[in-house]
Amino acid sequence: MSKVLMKGNEALGEAAIRAGCVHFFGYPITPQTEIPEYLCKRLPEVGGVFLQAESEVAAIHMVYGAAGAGVKCMTSSSSPGISLMAEGMSYLAACELPCVVINMMRAGPGLGGILPAQSDYFQATRGHGHGDYQCIVLAPASVQEAVDLMTLAFDLAEKYRNPVMVCADGMIGQMMEPVEFRSEGRGPPMAGNDWALTGCEGRPRRIVNSLHLAPEQNFAYNVRLKEKYDRAAREEVRFELYGDGRPDVLVVAFGTMARISKSAIDDLRREGRRVALFRPITLNPWPYAQCRAAMDAMPEGAKVLDVEMSMGQMIYDVKLAAEGTRTIEFLGKAGGLVPSPDEVAARIRALLP
Amino acid sequence: MGHIAIEQVRCKGCGRCVVACPKNLIEYGTELNERGYAYVIFKGSPEQCGGCTLCAVSCPDQGIEVYNSRDRKVFVNTTGLTEVMTHYCPGCTHGVVHRLVAEVLEEMGLLGRTIGIAPVGCSVLAYEYFNFDMFEAAHGRAPAVATGAKRARPDRIVFTYQGDGDLASIGGNEILHAANRGEKITVIFLNNAIYGMTGGQMAPTTMPGQKTTTTPFGRDTADTGQPLRVAEMLATLATPAFIARGTSHDAKGTLKTRKLIKEAFEHQAANRCFSFVEVLSTCPTNWGLSPNEASDWVEETMIPYYPLGILKRPAPEAVKA
Ligand SMILES: Cc1ncc(C[n+]2csc(CCOP(=O)(O)OP(=O)(O)O)c2C)c(N)n1
Ligand code: SF4
Ligand code: SF4
Ligand SMILES: [Mg+2]
Repeated sequence: MSKVLMKGNEALGEAAIRAGCVHFFGYPITPQTEIPEYLCKRLPEVGGVFLQAESEVAAIHMVYGAAGAGVKCMTSSSSPGISLMAEGMSYLAACELPCVVINMMRAGPGLGGILPAQSDYFQATRGHGHGDYQCIVLAPASVQEAVDLMTLAFDLAEKYRNPVMVCADGMIGQMMEPVEFRSEGRGPPMAGNDWALTGCEGRPRRIVNSLHLAPEQNFAYNVRLKEKYDRAAREEVRFELYGDGRPDVLVVAFGTMARISKSAIDDLRREGRRVALFRPITLNPWPYAQCRAAMDAMPEGAKVLDVEMSMGQMIYDVKLAAEGTRTIEFLGKAGGLVPSPDEVAARIRALLP
Repeated sequence: MGHIAIEQVRCKGCGRCVVACPKNLIEYGTELNERGYAYVIFKGSPEQCGGCTLCAVSCPDQGIEVYNSRDRKVFVNTTGLTEVMTHYCPGCTHGVVHRLVAEVLEEMGLLGRTIGIAPVGCSVLAYEYFNFDMFEAAHGRAPAVATGAKRARPDRIVFTYQGDGDLASIGGNEILHAANRGEKITVIFLNNAIYGMTGGQMAPTTMPGQKTTTTPFGRDTADTGQPLRVAEMLATLATPAFIARGTSHDAKGTLKTRKLIKEAFEHQAANRCFSFVEVLSTCPTNWGLSPNEASDWVEETMIPYYPLGILKRPAPEAVKA
């Protein structure tokens, strides 16, 4: 299939349709607004539903209603909007309803700014709302990968009956890149939704509910959810290891920051330096064992550098992976500033033997 | 002429039927049923009972069946409700309104095509009672959930069942915009002037001077504003809609409300417009009144402020469109 030049946000909108999602509910916020603006034109062409909600709160509960009625559905937003969706995310996870939520992260806290950031890593991976629930989180580093991960996101949402977040940043949303869609036209509808509320004609009635007043019953429910998250941790971990197999410096970064780090690593490798990148693609489940293996392959005294567009959030997972075997260095900028390839390279250089 | 059968185990002894019977044929009992309620007793003879069904219409607990002179059932419990006995307090008219919705859906042959949504509030367990597909939803968000479900399944009947704290306070935005978009859903809005479930706090609909746990000296409207008339507010929207207010406090009002609920679902079934029925309801527990005193309070205090009737119907042109 040939490549087309598309803005990241629009490509994500198209990717959703190719994945079979034709129900979109969302509220405008920079830097993701091109997603709804694209879908409001495209969805009617494929017999889909586009609805501009009155708020992110409403949007995520519309997703709850549509997902509960058994259709592939999604919303997209950016940081402050995701905060408002926290309640709905908890209910969706609690009721085991599949859906996809795109987060084009922008700088925070508060109103923050509209420039790209990765400051909502905690929010994405540690739960947005209340309760012992988790969300599968996918972090693309290019427009092409964002498109590919959309199909995976809907597949995982259905497989685990759980919300899946595609967590990118404004850079990926705004950037124009050639992309290839791996399938034509509107993708397949949700399969195996024999739990969905569709009217009980000819079958026993169904209930979508997260109220479990008896503590034993609620505990059992939590245990069941945890087993599901543990299964995802066993089966769905995705990552990329790039560069030298026995590096003197291992950079750990995700999304846009991984991409920038890669070009720093390329420059250094051209100079004959031994450097590598470990890039988690699933931010939850996090590839702890795989990252640890990459660390263990390093020579004695080699350094690990965590690079983020935040004040340091993923670094806690890198530390968990290291389990005290290495000290983890940090380079980060927030507020909409992004460490440049030169800055990353300079920092790596300082850590090289 | 007729007679009634009181199902002892379902009776909560609220006495609403005692007051509803125009011939005074039901009296309070002294014996307790297995759930600890003193169930009522039919003391009349078949010659006296006219089979008017008013007792059964007032009963919140599906506790009464009525037979006519030929021993044929003239008041049949609806299959739209499960057999589960509700957790509602004696005399709470949540049960009456549940029954009305279920009866109407059954009568219209819609039970198998309906998706109901009940958010938190005393009716959060409605999924145990309504005998069809049900969502439980977050506080105030039912109109958004209904929007999603209806847009996903436009050929289904989708309704929300919301309390006044839920709909008029935390869910103010969701109801306003669902109505303004003209979502083809039905909203049953149960107004009992209080937050029942959380133990009787002030709602936006609480009456001036009404004592609640957060207005212990009575609602001071200078401080907390006037009770919100949601039906009137929604009726100002330019979008075509069916907006009505009924009551569940007495048998006569309940029968009228049934008609309103039926019309609401008819508008939805015809894919015509958004439909909204507010139903004034009792909360004897949190009002600190007996069930029948609570009914009187609806009549004397609430209805003058919340007038009953149809506030808005879709214009004929809109109906055609
Ligand atoms: C986000 C959130 N805030 C608060 C609550 C607690 N809560 C549960 S029900 C309720 C009030 C319900 O009152 P109403 O809607 O009038 O229903 P009623 O019980 O009177 O029928 C509140 C405040 C909650 N469940 N969720
Ligand atoms: S109305 Fe129903 S619950 Fe109340 S006393 Fe009569 S039969 Fe019992
Ligand atoms: S607290 Fe009030 S609203 Fe709730 S069940 Fe009891 S009487 Fe009904
Ligand atoms: Mg209430």
